Amino acid sequence: MSEQMTGTDQPILETRALSKRFAIGTRFSAEGRRVVHAVDNVSLTVRRGETVGLVGESGCGKSTLARCLVRLYDITDGQLLFDGDDITGKSLAELRPVRRRLQMVFQDPSASLNPRRRVGDLVAEPLRVHGKLTPAGIRERVAELFDLVGLLPDHVGRYPHEFSGGQRQRVGIARAIALNPDLVVLDEPVSALDVSVQAQIVNLLADLQDKLKLTYIFIAHDLSVVRQVSTRIAVMYLGSIVEEGPSEEVFSAPAHPYSQALISAVPVVETTPSGRRKRIILSGDVPSPLKPPSGCRFHPRCPVAQDRCRTERPALVEHKSGRKVACHFPTV
Amino acid sequence: MMLSVRDLKVSFRTDDGLVRAIDGVSFDLEEGEILGVVGESGSGKTVSLLAVMGLITDPNAVIEGSIRYKGRELVGLPARELRRLRGNEIAMIFQDPMTALTPVYTIGWQIAEQIQAHQRVSRSAALDRVEELLAEVNFPNPREAMSRYPHQLSGGMRQRAVIAMALSCNPALLVADEPTTALDVTVQAGILDLVRKLRATHNSAVVFITHDMGVVSELADRVMVMYAGRIVERGSRSELFTDPSHPYTRALLGSIPPLTGDKPRRLPAIPGSPPSLLRLPKGCAFGPRCPVRYEACDAGKPDLVGASHAAACFRMAQA
Repeated sequence: MSEQMTGTDQPILETRALSKRFAIGTRFSAEGRRVVHAVDNVSLTVRRGETVGLVGESGCGKSTLARCLVRLYDITDGQLLFDGDDITGKSLAELRPVRRRLQMVFQDPSASLNPRRRVGDLVAEPLRVHGKLTPAGIRERVAELFDLVGLLPDHVGRYPHEFSGGQRQRVGIARAIALNPDLVVLDEPVSALDVSVQAQIVNLLADLQDKLKLTYIFIAHDLSVVRQVSTRIAVMYLGSIVEEGPSEEVFSAPAHPYSQALISAVPVVETTPSGRRKRIILSGDVPSPLKPPSGCRFHPRCPVAQDRCRTERPALVEHKSGRKVACHFPTV
Repeated sequence: MMLSVRDLKVSFRTDDGLVRAIDGVSFDLEEGEILGVVGESGSGKTVSLLAVMGLITDPNAVIEGSIRYKGRELVGLPARELRRLRGNEIAMIFQDPMTALTPVYTIGWQIAEQIQAHQRVSRSAALDRVEELLAEVNFPNPREAMSRYPHQLSGGMRQRAVIAMALSCNPALLVADEPTTALDVTVQAGILDLVRKLRATHNSAVVFITHDMGVVSELADRVMVMYAGRIVERGSRSELFTDPSHPYTRALLGSIPPLTGDKPRRLPAIPGSPPSLLRLPKGCAFGPRCPVRYEACDAGKPDLVGASHAAACFRMAQA
């Protein structure tokens, strides 16, 4: 028992049947008031030191889930636990001590950095808000952070527009790690960057994780990047997790038909002229979360759907150790 | 030869001086060939193709060199003549389909208008053709889709509608500028299939601009890699991907994390970032980031050396 409470087994973050619904329209609009189930019944456990990759198509709810995890959105239903502590309904004041330990990096660094402030100030801001450091202590810590993320000391006086996209993302990362957080939620941190710069940031994130013992939740639509950084991945479709497991296993042998189609659709560089991989092309588009299909939400596009899938919704069940699939006919 | 571009140079007069966005680009395109143009933002891949299409209307732009389409010189051609070619013979699709669609008319109306602008057909014949086209780009219910407005369609469907519009006059040359970048991989796979089908059924030539090496490797017959306004390497798909010779191409391919097999602990990243066109290095533009740079690289800009498979690198030329 005591072993379970210590070391890497203690989950740093846990969601229990977490849901987020948005009401859209008013009772005066043509279709009346409607409800979007953006995140639907998600139970996810994140352990210390691991990197959980969240993948799925646009509109699958991965960014909404990320924002719920750091309580940028209020949670409609279910529970959110941070380090064993229920933070689902905590007020802003009660959240303050949690927020130092739970940080987020956004996709577009030029949108998340105030263009009128010097980057040194931007990185110092969380230290001023949360810390008890003296001005000299703050300067010292900013210099240390700049060094950690690979920015030069004389960059502190510059404005965001004077930097390239990659450097701006380094500023965003420095800001997120300024307070020594335990968990960082990264929402598409490399998607806006040039290909040749992406690898630098991916490496930087890996280095920081080693040095600072960070736990990551990594969201990206680029599956090869997710595979590179993640130890475990969760595949989302229409607001729910359809498959979860160790990154290697899910990528080499996806069990859910949707994961199979998603992974097979990634274009890869063929360095050997030999045979092309088999591709599963899904028909149709992702259905609207306003009118989710009955039964399994993937059934209208699923190549192996049967009658049961149209009526009965599969639950996310553990098939092998650490491998969960929400499908009536998984290939495990 | 369908398209032959020689020593194309595009410069823009700006407040900070003359910016040369394209610096001596030459390439050929045969009928039914798919040419992939890869590069990062600012590498000049879009500007060079906009020049080919005659779509650079900025009065501060200076276009030099020669662009011959089916033997006819396009540089300096009057706007009226160009307009007759565009849409009819040459079509283009862009990254964001909303820029090519007007929000205030239905999809069917817009595509029919495009057909009637170039061909003498009746309205009802044009609308029948629209239905055919939408079916061709895999709309499950083309009749119904014709009465929809762009905002009622998903991103993938909009892009397919734009492709249908581009195909409406059976163009001999299709230029696609990052058409799948804003789309999900599952939708992208469908669009790439469509481009292959177009080539197979109409023998159209396609220029496909992208930053995604994977897409190029799946689609292109020949590939052209651009960096800071110049072609750094070109060759057939197999030449380029099995035996890349320019250090930039190699580094770019190396920095893509693999989807299968062993994953490296660290990715071999390229240091620095792409240069600003206002402050280009003196010699080879890739020099400051290049792992095999030596003295000669600072002396001048390397030219493409080689026949079918060519690279612009002093180090490779010397070896």
